[in-house]
Amino acid sequence: MLGQVIISGVLIGFVYSLVAVGLTLIWGVMDIINFAHGEFLMISMYTAFWMYAIFKLDPLLTLPIASFFIFVISFLTYKLIIKKVLDAPGLTALLATFGLSLFIRNLAQFLWTPNYRFITESFVADKKVAMGPVIIGMPQLVAAFGSILMTVIIFYFVKKTKMGMAIQATALDRDTAKLMGIDTEKVYAVTFGISGICVGVAGTLLSTFFPVYPEAGALYSLLAFVIVAFGGFGNIQGALLGGIIVGLTESLGGFFLGTQFKYAVVFLLYLLVLQFRPKGLFGW
Amino acid sequence: MKKSIALIVAFFLVASLILQGCSQQAQKPAEQQEIKIGAILPLTGSAAATGVKLKYAIETAEEIINGEHPEINMELAKSAGLPNLKGAKVKFIFADHQANPEIAKSEAERLIQNEKVVGLIGCYHSSATKPASQVAERFQIPFVAGSSSSAALTERGLKWFTRIAPHDGMETKFFFDYLKYLNEKFNAGIKKIAVVYIDNEYGVHAFQMVQKTIENYKDDGFELVLDVKYPANVSNVDTEVQKIKAAAPDAIFHASYIGDMTMFVKKYKELNVVPKVVLSYCGGYQDPQFVKNLGKDADYFAGPNATTSALFSKMPDLAKINEIYKKKSGVDIDGPTLEDFASAMVIAEAINKAGTTDPAKVMEVLKNTEFSAPYFVSGKIKFGEDGQNIYSASVMTQIQNGIYEAVWPENFQTKPPIPAFPEWNKR
Repeated sequence: MLGQVIISGVLIGFVYSLVAVGLTLIWGVMDIINFAHGEFLMISMYTAFWMYAIFKLDPLLTLPIASFFIFVISFLTYKLIIKKVLDAPGLTALLATFGLSLFIRNLAQFLWTPNYRFITESFVADKKVAMGPVIIGMPQLVAAFGSILMTVIIFYFVKKTKMGMAIQATALDRDTAKLMGIDTEKVYAVTFGISGICVGVAGTLLSTFFPVYPEAGALYSLLAFVIVAFGGFGNIQGALLGGIIVGLTESLGGFFLGTQFKYAVVFLLYLLVLQFRPKGLFGW
Repeated sequence: MKKSIALIVAFFLVASLILQGCSQQAQKPAEQQEIKIGAILPLTGSAAATGVKLKYAIETAEEIINGEHPEINMELAKSAGLPNLKGAKVKFIFADHQANPEIAKSEAERLIQNEKVVGLIGCYHSSATKPASQVAERFQIPFVAGSSSSAALTERGLKWFTRIAPHDGMETKFFFDYLKYLNEKFNAGIKKIAVVYIDNEYGVHAFQMVQKTIENYKDDGFELVLDVKYPANVSNVDTEVQKIKAAAPDAIFHASYIGDMTMFVKKYKELNVVPKVVLSYCGGYQDPQFVKNLGKDADYFAGPNATTSALFSKMPDLAKINEIYKKKSGVDIDGPTLEDFASAMVIAEAINKAGTTDPAKVMEVLKNTEFSAPYFVSGKIKFGEDGQNIYSASVMTQIQNGIYEAVWPENFQTKPPIPAFPEWNKR
């Protein structure tokens, strides 16, 4: 029984991580809180859903399309909105993304109605793996593995590639990076785009077992904020561990204290971390 | 740069077109005699899917009242407008409470003070109906709730409040009577009961009703083995279902909404939870989207419903109402939606019977009249002292082959009930 609870927590934790990686990148590199992060997640879920509903395409096949689509949307968001408010006082960017999130959410409701939709057929639907008494749903398992893989790829991209190093340099000191000849403008746009790819992948993977509706991203982005605070701003490994901590806290807390408290425990932990480690458990 | 400016301009053009469309609607010339009634619904937010359908139902009522529909056997259908008020037209003013009780309260105030509505209906969520009806009480304006089912609403001693739907106390009794029927008639052997409920006014109160009601059914062998309360917004229900599986109940009572309910069913299947009966309070199960989303997996679930499409062939007036509704919404009318339709009809009928919009007189009619309701299986609506409709309009329905069949009481049966779930892999 306990094994089942722990495994469920860890699996959903990995998905949380991937959502949080996207958020933490923008936060760490640009010092901007992207409130529309959850809405990008929602758009990616809808992309997967419509590909399925119209073209009968499996979400796992549309994964590259959905991620690319969200990459483009994120990139454009940066170019059209964020860039304009980057040098304004901090609150302006925050309000801009907040406004954007409301706009996207209501637009989704206008275009696609607020109905809860599910993708009922996919390679992974209704399949499960039994390991003794523990049953793992295939959609969750695939989502978790996909998330880990994606997180590792992003990690290596940031640590090992030239562009990644430019991102790190810009995160540390934008002006100096600029003086060293780094095109910080491009770095920002790419960072935003990568963040979009994260939610693009996460949203598509989620759509195989989570309902698709205009508010679908809200809770995930809220939890992503908590994870970013746990992991430290801009810290990818931190986000990965933070996600697992949140997933485990949620399922163990829910199991032992009552399911109505499962998010309360998560947010309590968040408050405690903020009190004692304001930079996050793994922050620098 | 130029491109982005062009984009922004294009965006504003599109936006202004949309807005223009709205304002044109609003600027329709005011008709001489127009009676305004406020309808507060969750038109955006987590329950918006349902809220939008309720709006269609109320628009259906508006169409029946204001147009001529001699084919429907209802008082206000025959002539255009309200005959006792010189054919005055009724206009429902919609407000959105976004599933938020605070907003429901302020919208009620706005509708009464600014829009000068003479009555209020809504709000679907009991938690929103509660504050909104208190505002109506303060301004002494009649409030007719359609589908809000928390029993607490009619326990407050309000003078200006009535409710169409059976409250969850009545529903709970209905559940236990149905289980008793299954045990007696089919030897179903149902004893252990679990309650799974959402952490809000509706869910919590449903659970309290089960705690209270089960005392009267102890002799029938029923026992409450588990209660699972879950947050109103959930990203997964793994832990919840694991707890249910461990308790292995015979019957599960669900107080949920469509999104969470569907997640539960998927998890039941994944973790192979096989109860004998699952009964749902007025919430997710009653939404036809439930069958659409789950397909075959929706079979065997059951719950009380004010109506089901299987009944249309037996009830011609209901079928005609559904025709109008379906043209707007694209789907068949369901239980909660029909209850909100009824609330719109009843308040208009009360105003017509009173012959005036004077709130006190309208309220008097509401309290003392038996309204005909050919669209309900009970056929009529009458409010008791506390404002509760004394005739329960519900039948127990069960999904069989994707259709909501009426399974109990036996005189409305369209199919006999199936008192056990097959294993998930044997469907």
